Amino acid sequence: MKSTGLAIGLGVLGVVFLIIAVLYAFGVLQIAVSDPHASHHYTHTILFVVLAVASFVAANFARPKGTVYVTDRPRR
Amino acid sequence: MTLAQALFMGLLQGATELFPVSSLGHAVLIPSLLKWSFKQSDPSFLPFLVLLHIGTATALLVLYRQEWVGIIRGFFAAAIRGQIQNDTERLSMLLLVGTIPAAILGVFLESKIKTLFASPSVAAAFLIVNGLLMIGFEVLRRRAERRTPVTASSRAEQEEHFAQAERISFRAAAIVGACQALAFLPGISRSGVTIGGGLLAGLRHQEAARFSFLLATPVILAAGVVEVPQLFSSGVPVGEYLAGAVLSGIAAYASARFLLRYFRSGRLDPYGIYCIAAGLVSLALLHFNL
Repeated sequence: MKSTGLAIGLGVLGVVFLIIAVLYAFGVLQIAVSDPHASHHYTHTILFVVLAVASFVAANFARPKGTVYVTDRPRR
Repeated sequence: MTLAQALFMGLLQGATELFPVSSLGHAVLIPSLLKWSFKQSDPSFLPFLVLLHIGTATALLVLYRQEWVGIIRGFFAAAIRGQIQNDTERLSMLLLVGTIPAAILGVFLESKIKTLFASPSVAAAFLIVNGLLMIGFEVLRRRAERRTPVTASSRAEQEEHFAQAERISFRAAAIVGACQALAFLPGISRSGVTIGGGLLAGLRHQEAARFSFLLATPVILAAGVVEVPQLFSSGVPVGEYLAGAVLSGIAAYASARFLLRYFRSGRLDPYGIYCIAAGLVSLALLHFNL
C-alpha cells in the first residue's frame, strides 16, 4: 500500500507525536499521567518518541519508490 | 528487605520470568505466603522488581547478542531504504510493531495496575487464569496440528510444519505484542501469553518462545530505564538489590537456554497445570491464613 498522501499523513502524525513528546517532557501536558504534580513525564515522552519514529518509518515505507525495471537478460 | 530475601527474590524472578508461570505473580505471592515483613505496597518494591527485570533483560541480550546486532542493523537499513529485503529486516519491523501496543497500554494503564499489584489474592486468582490460558492455547494448537495434512513420526518433525518467527504476519505481531500488556496483571505470564499468541499465529513452539523473548527485551529494558532512578533516590539498599538482579540474570539465562531446548518438542500444558495448582494452593493458604 504505497501512496504519497498516506506517506505525508504518516509524516505529519510523526511530527504531532514529537510535539506531544516535548510537551510531556516539559510537563506542559498532564493527560493520563499517574502523578499530575510531576514536572516531567519521561515514560510518556519515551513512548511518544517511539511512536514518532514508527510513524516516520511507516511514512518512508508508504512513500512510492522509483520504478525498477527488471529484464530477463543482462544488458550488454 | 534482607540480603537473603533479595537474593531469593532475584533467583525466583530470573527463574520464573521466562517460564510461562508469571514472575510478577510469584513475586507478589511468595513473600506474602512466607510472611516476610517487607511490604509489597512499599514504593521501593516496584523499582526493585524492575531492577530484577533488567537482570533478566540483560541475560536475554547476552543470549541473543548476535541476533540483536543484526536486528538493529536490519532496522536502520530497512527504515532508511523504506523496504524490507531479508528476514532479519522483517523481524526487526515485526518487533517494532509488536512493541508499540504493549508500550501504549503499559504507559496508560500503569497507575490502575499498581492498584491491583499489592494483592496476593488477585495474583493467585490470575495465576489460575494463566494456567487455563496455557491449556487453552495448547487445545487450539492441537486442533491446528490435526488440520495439518502431513503425518510426522515425532513431535520435533511435527513442529517443523509450522513457521519461523520471521514469517509471522504484522497483524499477528501487533496482537501478540498487545497480549504482553496482560502481563502487567500479576499472575498472567508475559512469556506465556506471547508464546501462546505465537502458537495461534502458526509459529513453532521454539520459534514462538524466541519471538516472545526478543519481544520482551525492549519493553523490560525501557521499563527499567524509567524506574531505576526512583530506586536510587528512595534510599533503599542498592547493593542487596543489585546482587539480586545479578542472580536474576544468571537464572534467566539458564531458564532461556532450557526453554529453547524444551520447546523443540515440549508444550505449554505442564506449566498450565502448575499455574492452576499453585494458584489454588495459594488461595487456600491465604484464605485460611496458614
